[in-house]
Amino acid sequence: MTSTPIKQAVRVTVNGTPYSAEVPTYRTLVDFLRYDLGLTGTKETCSVGVCGACTVMLDGKMVSSCLTLAVRVNDAEIQTIEGVANGDELHPVQQAFIDNGGFQCGACTPGQIMAAKALLEENSHPSEDEIKQFMMGNLCRCTGYYQIIDSIKAAAEQM
Amino acid sequence: MTTYNVIGKNAARKDGFAKVNGDAEYAIDVALPGMLHGKAVRSTVPHARIVKIDSSRALALPGVHAVLTGEDVAGHMLGSRVRDVPVLANRVVRFIGEKVAAVVADDEPTAERARNLVEVEYERLDSIFTIEDALANGAPVLHPNMLSYQGYIKPPEQPSNVFFANVYGVGDVELGFAEADQIFEDTYTTQRQHPAFFEPRACVVHADLGGRVQIWTSTKTPYALKGAIALAIGVDNDKLLINPTYVGGDFGGKGCPWDEALCYFLSEKTGHPVKMVMDYQEEFEAGNPRHGSIVKVRTGVKNDGTITAHHQDMIFNSGAYAGLMPLGYLAGTDRIAANFRIANARFDHRQVYTNTVPGGYMRGPGEVQGTFAMESHMDEIARKMGIDIVEFRRKNILRPGDITPMNETFSGVRAEETLLAAVAKAGYPLATGPYVGVGISMCSRPAGGGETHVEITVEEEGTVLLRTPIFEQGSGVHTVLALIAAEELGTTLENIRVVPWNTDAVENDSGIAGSRGTRMMVPAAHEASLQAKTELLNTAAELTGWPIEQLESKDSAVVNMASGEQIGWADLLGRVPDRSIMGRASNKEMGLAEYTTFAAQIAEVEIDPETGRIHLRKFLSVHDVGTILNPIGHQGQINGSIVTGLGYALMEELPIENGRVTTQSFADVKIPTMPDLPELETLLLESDEGEGPYKVRSIGEAPLLGVAPAIANAIRDATGVRFYDLPLTAEKILTGLRIAARSTIYDHHEETA
Ligand code: FES
Ligand code: FES
Repeated sequence: MTSTPIKQAVRVTVNGTPYSAEVPTYRTLVDFLRYDLGLTGTKETCSVGVCGACTVMLDGKMVSSCLTLAVRVNDAEIQTIEGVANGDELHPVQQAFIDNGGFQCGACTPGQIMAAKALLEENSHPSEDEIKQFMMGNLCRCTGYYQIIDSIKAAAEQM
Repeated sequence: MTTYNVIGKNAARKDGFAKVNGDAEYAIDVALPGMLHGKAVRSTVPHARIVKIDSSRALALPGVHAVLTGEDVAGHMLGSRVRDVPVLANRVVRFIGEKVAAVVADDEPTAERARNLVEVEYERLDSIFTIEDALANGAPVLHPNMLSYQGYIKPPEQPSNVFFANVYGVGDVELGFAEADQIFEDTYTTQRQHPAFFEPRACVVHADLGGRVQIWTSTKTPYALKGAIALAIGVDNDKLLINPTYVGGDFGGKGCPWDEALCYFLSEKTGHPVKMVMDYQEEFEAGNPRHGSIVKVRTGVKNDGTITAHHQDMIFNSGAYAGLMPLGYLAGTDRIAANFRIANARFDHRQVYTNTVPGGYMRGPGEVQGTFAMESHMDEIARKMGIDIVEFRRKNILRPGDITPMNETFSGVRAEETLLAAVAKAGYPLATGPYVGVGISMCSRPAGGGETHVEITVEEEGTVLLRTPIFEQGSGVHTVLALIAAEELGTTLENIRVVPWNTDAVENDSGIAGSRGTRMMVPAAHEASLQAKTELLNTAAELTGWPIEQLESKDSAVVNMASGEQIGWADLLGRVPDRSIMGRASNKEMGLAEYTTFAAQIAEVEIDPETGRIHLRKFLSVHDVGTILNPIGHQGQINGSIVTGLGYALMEELPIENGRVTTQSFADVKIPTMPDLPELETLLLESDEGEGPYKVRSIGEAPLLGVAPAIANAIRDATGVRFYDLPLTAEKILTGLRIAARSTIYDHHEETA
């Protein structure tokens, strides 16, 4: 393990912008986004794929970026929290989180919003139980979840 | 009750846009040019002498800049108050997870690999893990040189594992027990709980940026932290500068120094800024969890249900160090039981060192443990005596003018109203069936004290800039400040920007803790707003010739109430460009608030007798409150507190085996997720009595305190079995039910024999 790390080229589109970089093969997607691209909106909490903080969209599918290697996203399209709003115009899910108390410290919020958006894209009017089942992979310590559920319901009304 | 324009209406938070967009910057997000990454080498043994550390293989790894060991930083001691934590263990390690060395490398994965290459040779010493171990005769004393440490509340007379002992109370318990017809005694035990803030602890330190030591770190008490770091590294307080960031949750855990001093030494050694981030394995192994405890309770009661005496003996397992508790001990124990009137009460509070992860503060530190014991115990007494639980509580409830068992008095006491409102709302004692039960608990929580400062400037564009030394730790404090300014100045929330200061701004600030934020900030924001408003009115009067007494400030304009004419702030200030419109005020209120807030909580559970599984069906939380400034934020505090409380009651734990925390990741510790939520109902009993200009009361911690005992009492109601040990897992319930079933059969045989 004392040799120089092997690097590999990655070309990827993030929030519509193309990037190419040489990354060590061990680089996780979350580190790549946060440190190499400076997109720190995506957070890392558990590092083992169970908390949802690092949720991003990879070719339209939700993934945990802490469990995904950067070299695996070659030629892919990624959307992170920074790519959800349209300039100053917030996405309805983002606005709903503000209006309904869907966050407090905000550290879980990027992941919550990515997941909630994915849910509503798949099921535009989820029941409360469907929300709970879909969102159970996104932990939050601050809010006690009730106002996150309110936010998702309100966003569904808007979308 | 007074009506307001902005106050009392749901506010869109000031940090909303930044937080839903990923723009909000936390300490974990800070990156400086040339920044390196540090990682700690942690002890793998609970108690040992360090014989040798070999860093050569780590240093040989490409990308590694340096390795520091305890010898390099010998004598540098850290602590919030008690300075007993070495920056790196020197010669001795006292728990698994203690930092023995640190590596600094180009990136975090390299630092992690290098850390695994550092070889440490230990010579094992005898270890103590439990409270019983620590108190045993002949137990090894973990800190033989503790007489030389600074900061103990009562400096010890001789080295001992008991580093804190205090007694609170009122009256004479011996006399009280002598008056009793019956005496009840029980022992309750509680587990460790990690705060599980979402942003793991992180810091970036530049040892020399513009001649200053500059720090970005996840802290809710920057000024206290600055002092602690300055002492640890041995520089003047003024040399340090802590820059504000958002704090990704704290719940009590981020009020103490962490890796900042170590980062400083790594930065000084390498000449680069250095970042350290705890990963969650490190958080569980070495974070500062809620303390585990043993609480013995003993109560004397007359046959009519009057409590004559109560004695509580609380012992907390503090782990290897005391330095991670902001006040050096669990400050909350002197507030428990304030919903009772007990003429003779005694509360013994001790804390011990053991070779386990050092404990810290977490939402309701000390209070949560004592409240679980007290509220379970009182429920049990009523059941054993065959007295209705509500009647038993009413008989012994704190009434206006009464002295609490802690010898305190509060104004506006509404404990009984709170209880009765809860009982009425829940329709108690309805809702039973086989294995269905309902449990009640109560608690009280006054706001703590502190000092803070606010500066408000009306800018040339007519916008308002509000400055505060408080870092937004998640609870919405910046929004509360903006609400006050909007209300008093007469403008919208949107027109106000809240920008936190760095630590150069004021001499001292208490930061956030002890549910004191609102109590402390509001009078300062109010006063600063009034000053700025007076300036606005004076300026307008001078400029327009309107009589000052006819002027009001509203809708971001100065209005002549007599004529209906008005001049917008931007317009006004555009005409007097050299005029600065500013207000600056401070507020310092130490000690507990005049008003406390009572809570009564009712849980309804259903138990599956086959599996022991507990289904928390409903939870009702009733709070005695003052004016609510931002209802949605207030409710958010209640929700978050209750759900953390239910995690504590039912599932969360940091088990320790042979000194090692067995929780390795979030996959091993279950914190509540959406499917665990009960149907939650909240009832707020507003009043116009409270602290400061708007009559507020605290809410951050109270809703958590009674959750575990309400659930435990409901389980008792459902099963007839009392559970004494948290968390109340399905396994424990099932075992309890089986034992109870067997002893019933046994009793039955005895009787028929
Ligand atoms: S950090 Fe990726 S799921 Fe938790
Ligand atoms: S808002 Fe803080 S963890 Fe969810």
